[in-house]
Amino acid sequence: MNIVSSTIRDLLIVAEKEYNAQDAFRFKTKQVGADGKAETVIKSKSYTQLKNDSECFSKSLASLGEQEKHIAIIGSTSYAWVVAYFGIVNCGSVAVPLDAQLSAEELCELLNRADVTTLIYDENKSNVADMASSKCPQLKHFICLSKNSVLENTLYFEELIKQQEPGFECEIVPEKLATIMFTSGTTGKSKGVMLTHRNMAENATCLDMKFEPKTVLLSVLPIHHAYCLSMDILKGLYTGAIICINDSLMRVAQNIKLFKPNMILMVPLMIESMAKKLEDAAALPAHIVKENVFGSQFQTICSGGAYLNPAYIDLFKKYDINILQGYGMTECSPVISTNLLWENKTGSVGKIMPNCEAKTVDEELWIKGSSVMQGYYKMPQETADTLEDGWLKTGDLGYVDEDGFIFLTGRKKNLIITPNGENVSPEEIENKIGDNRLVQEILVRDSEGVIEAEIYPDYEYAEKKGITDILAELQKIIDEYNSNAPLYKRVFKLKLREVEFEKNTTKKIKRF
Amino acid sequence: MLEKITEIILRYVEVNREDIKPESRFMEDLGFTSYDFMSMLGEIEDELNVEVNQEEAANIRTVQEAVDYLERIS
Repeated sequence: MNIVSSTIRDLLIVAEKEYNAQDAFRFKTKQVGADGKAETVIKSKSYTQLKNDSECFSKSLASLGEQEKHIAIIGSTSYAWVVAYFGIVNCGSVAVPLDAQLSAEELCELLNRADVTTLIYDENKSNVADMASSKCPQLKHFICLSKNSVLENTLYFEELIKQQEPGFECEIVPEKLATIMFTSGTTGKSKGVMLTHRNMAENATCLDMKFEPKTVLLSVLPIHHAYCLSMDILKGLYTGAIICINDSLMRVAQNIKLFKPNMILMVPLMIESMAKKLEDAAALPAHIVKENVFGSQFQTICSGGAYLNPAYIDLFKKYDINILQGYGMTECSPVISTNLLWENKTGSVGKIMPNCEAKTVDEELWIKGSSVMQGYYKMPQETADTLEDGWLKTGDLGYVDEDGFIFLTGRKKNLIITPNGENVSPEEIENKIGDNRLVQEILVRDSEGVIEAEIYPDYEYAEKKGITDILAELQKIIDEYNSNAPLYKRVFKLKLREVEFEKNTTKKIKRF
Repeated sequence: MLEKITEIILRYVEVNREDIKPESRFMEDLGFTSYDFMSMLGEIEDELNVEVNQEEAANIRTVQEAVDYLERIS
């Protein structure tokens, strides 16, 4: 298939027509076996079932009066999550996928800021639904993806679907807003990236990467991230893939053995870890090592989210595994460029997508094209700072060569990109830890892949309070912060400063 | 249990056996990445035949905390 879909609705219709009874998803589920004990089995859902179920959910939302509304989904990757997503966007509503790792307070703040009227959540997040029922006055409906919820007045996803018949007509124009995705802001406040149907559908379908239908994909990245949603789910479905759901990051190795994937979308942190496993067994012949770690059917890793040392690409080649390094950001739906098997350059993050163009302004890379977001939700100033005449200022320093390959040379924006592709705003962490009286000045930065805080304490205050072991006291403050922060935002290194930080003319700490 | 976990830890990070102490912190002291830590929990699930709750496990910081948690769910 080599045509471009301009709406997510069209993408699903085209995929279902082409691949109908073929498996679209495979996932693990627990059931009671003949011996009365719980056993894990693999279930599958076809392309037709996916389309039908999503239409049933669109109908349910319409009957609840939730068309043209903002609907949040909080939960890990599941078939129900994907059905909910298509059900939402294909009835004209806007899906707001949220990070399940955030605290209930932070999630409630995002629900309010995104004007969400229905919350869809999995049972692990009942505490969020509970808090939101009192803190989010705009919320009208709560829908639980699984069967158990402690919250009263909850609707159950499965029941809603069962109550409807497939078939739902709704005109969706490409310019319609489909999704708001939150991303870290440099001021410490996360920003809601507004993406239309055209943004997302064209990003997922404009480039033919020549993936064969029935390619088995294992989806391991968090689905609330644009990279996973676009590349694993939208592109996967469009190319006729069989998408296998990894139930936990703890079980990637086990699930590789179970589902036998041909391809996995990864972030550099995972590639580095896999490389260690390959090297640990390097004394054995390469094909046996590959068989043990990935299975002989494994062929391709798509890498994105953060910088990958090109040495890994060569290392994996030894095992007959191709790493296709790409580059993107949520604001660009998200893929900006990717290397392909037949079109790649070492050191580059790939050739720019056919729906985009790039230029360099004052060393910064700017992108224009149908993937570029509409702006940040209800943040006109931040939008104006980022978009200029349709050009997206990426915040990355780099250039495009004469063949359209992008090379990155550094970052302009002050954002930590962790090796697992999460963007973390240092200011957000600095503000949280800096609230403490003992912390006079703080600087948060990346240090060899982990987040480090350097603190200049208020020595006078410490003396007044009789604090002798300042480092231990500061560690307590960090521990307290860490206990409420998701894993990727935790501070794992602490540095004590004896002199104040150097400041620039506006009295701000000089970061570099 | 401590011995078993020490064995598994040694498959993930390059540290000396004697450096793995009950009070050692996985990330800060032993040099685990978040992904390696998660993978290790998966391996522990298989070897000890237990089911680890990912959200609870995210709060484990030290080797002793891991031992306590695993003894509780075993």
